[in-house]
Amino acid sequence: MFFRILGESFFRNPARKWLEAAALALGMAITTAALVTALDVGDRMAREFRRLGANLVVTPKTDTLPLEIGGTDYRPVEEGAYLKDEDLGKLRTIFWRLNIVGFSPFLETPAELERGQNRIAARMIGTWVKHQVTVPDGTTFTTGVLQTHPWWKIEGEWFPDDEVVTRGTPSVVAGASLASRAGIRPGERLKAWVGGKETAFLVKGIVTTGGAEDQAIVVPLGMVQRLTGHPGEYRRLSVSALTSPEDEFAKRNPDTMTQADYDRWFCTPYISSIAFQIRQALPGAEVRVVRQVAETEGRVLGRLSALLWLVSVTALVSVALVIGSTSATTVLERRREIGLMKALGAGQRRILGLFVAEQIIVAACGGLAGYLAGEGLGYLVGKIVFGIPGTGRLVLLPVVLALALAVTLAGSLWPLGRVARLDAAPVLRGE
Amino acid sequence: MFWRVLRQMITNGRGRLAVALVALVSGATASAALLNLEFDAERKFSHELRALGPNVLVRSAVAPGGSDDPGTVFDADAASGLLSAAPGGRVTALAPSLYAIVRSPGAETNLVLAGTWLDAYPKLAPWWSVNGAWVTDRNDAKACLVGQQAAARLHVRPGSPLEVRYGPRTATLEVAGIVSTGAAEDDQVFTNLAVAQQLAGLPGKVSLVQMSVAGTPEEVERYAVQLGPRLPGLEVRPLRQIAQAEGQLLARVQDLLFWSVGLILILTSLCVLATTLALAIERRADVGLMKALGGQMTRIVRLFLVEAGLLGAVGGMTGAVIGTLLSAWIGRQVFGTATSLRMEVIPLILAVMVAVALVGALPLRLLSHVRPGIVLRESK
Repeated sequence: MFFRILGESFFRNPARKWLEAAALALGMAITTAALVTALDVGDRMAREFRRLGANLVVTPKTDTLPLEIGGTDYRPVEEGAYLKDEDLGKLRTIFWRLNIVGFSPFLETPAELERGQNRIAARMIGTWVKHQVTVPDGTTFTTGVLQTHPWWKIEGEWFPDDEVVTRGTPSVVAGASLASRAGIRPGERLKAWVGGKETAFLVKGIVTTGGAEDQAIVVPLGMVQRLTGHPGEYRRLSVSALTSPEDEFAKRNPDTMTQADYDRWFCTPYISSIAFQIRQALPGAEVRVVRQVAETEGRVLGRLSALLWLVSVTALVSVALVIGSTSATTVLERRREIGLMKALGAGQRRILGLFVAEQIIVAACGGLAGYLAGEGLGYLVGKIVFGIPGTGRLVLLPVVLALALAVTLAGSLWPLGRVARLDAAPVLRGE
Repeated sequence: MFWRVLRQMITNGRGRLAVALVALVSGATASAALLNLEFDAERKFSHELRALGPNVLVRSAVAPGGSDDPGTVFDADAASGLLSAAPGGRVTALAPSLYAIVRSPGAETNLVLAGTWLDAYPKLAPWWSVNGAWVTDRNDAKACLVGQQAAARLHVRPGSPLEVRYGPRTATLEVAGIVSTGAAEDDQVFTNLAVAQQLAGLPGKVSLVQMSVAGTPEEVERYAVQLGPRLPGLEVRPLRQIAQAEGQLLARVQDLLFWSVGLILILTSLCVLATTLALAIERRADVGLMKALGGQMTRIVRLFLVEAGLLGAVGGMTGAVIGTLLSAWIGRQVFGTATSLRMEVIPLILAVMVAVALVGALPLRLLSHVRPGIVLRESK
């Protein structure tokens, strides 16, 4: 009997049920899409922020004070300590190895270029462009300035990193300011002197960076290592890592943490814990956080996700009220039906049970449809905004279903209670 | 007659109308709050990204030469001209610097001394973290800030004296604070510009001017291009790293907010529409009754449309006002400053809500061909 009445109520007047379910589905779609976007935004934006370049810098620990002005280190090459580039594979063995998106070692030296009768002084900066690093676990990792300095613009071609060891004339690229000052064109052969040693190379391209490299010649790392007599060594390493924004917890000193707190700190990709892990992987290295990048990133990310959460909550509350009122309207509309049931001898509990069962069915259908539509929308927003579709989160399904149920029940219980308490006769008369 | 019936309808149906009003108000509130935030977000995030520091450098067009030549210097007068040459207060911070490689006799080490306007740095480089005190007076010829690496090498703490030597000249400074930035500044010592000029024997000269220019990356680029010809012999260079990243990040943030707010607006309107539709369906019996009593269909429909319009107007207005206040509150929570309120949001929301309410009432028109008897019987 109960189920017959329930079935009748759905088939006899489907329009109301459809409306309620549609409102519910729309509302839950908003909620799901907003939650999917808010949950994803941290990871996505962190990747965008890597356009700002490296957020960690590694230098040798026992070094003399670098004399760096405008991006150029004026220390003599013989002075100071060096780090070994064969250790760099270890960066991909730390706990947060997958968060290390790239790293580039740098070694530079003063040089003189031959231009006609004159010699022009210029820095020679050695680095990797797209270098295969062997990771101790047997895999390889390709990294270089293409990853860590994405704003460098090349006109012509980059040099192949490993050519220097295999063939005679190595290829290099020239900084834009140097090239225009000295009239260097891609495809030109140049002669240069480094520490009295003569060397020749082929200019493959012109690079614009907006930094000190514009005034320099950028060459394969191996070439500077060979010319300066520091094989396998570098002086500065830029590391680009994906991090989560620092909160109050991240700023605490790891030495004074309890074991549980320490584990939590170690297992969260805070920039400080990644720096700590790199320090463990590279003995003798000083790892510093580039505050200019890290601080801005943290603040903008924190604010953006706070904003999106508040947007989600605002949408959620308003949607809950709208759906609640739709449910209330559909119940109020059925006062006569309730009056009739009462007149025919139905108890209050029975009537309530019937309506609650109806609402549960509507909530389940609307909630499920809304969840699917919302996942679709989240996928779409991710694809449009970031080019990477949003990830489906099954975790949200029970949350959304529970929410749908809570909202419809909350919306309908109040009018139900009011109607059920009324006497049958006046309701039937239409008062 | 028309208005009397309308008043009757509204007073008799208070419960139902109140319920529908809740839906309209909450939909309008969310829409108004989100629209306000969306309009303001670009400015807010652009301001946040400004914290990335100087985005335009002015230096001598002649490149630094040899291995031990720390760049060419130029007259500082040009620097002071920059501020007055800037169109309409676009330069938010500016500092000229003179660099010199000096020797610290105490620690037997060379280090980079930068003479600059230290009072400009809290704005120019807000990420500097200073342990001790900032130097707040540009003309303070005694105080200096020491980078953390340099401080460790020189064994100084806030309050220690620091002697630096350049050729035959020496200067004795007092360490005000220790700076940590994670970049080259960690190895340098910062002091008053005049002190460095006098020490290096280059009065009135600077090697670099750093500027923080407000605006989108294109505006900054245009500013640099405009400024160039006014400073002969100098190179005005926008920092690509900052400018490019800033533009791309802003575009992403904007896209993200546009799409999420746009979707929420559309879906919320549809959701409200479902409520007004439910309300309209419920009114079928009333329409049937009025028709049975001899009412003209156009008149009846007009009656219900006016009712729906009033409902939409009241709901939209209330929601727009609450939403505007809500967005101010959210702005303060997230950014620390209130969202600037956009007045055009209120009429927009009002129009959307009235439209949604009217569209919701439209199905009543379909009843015009229905015979009143059937409607009245059906509703029993």
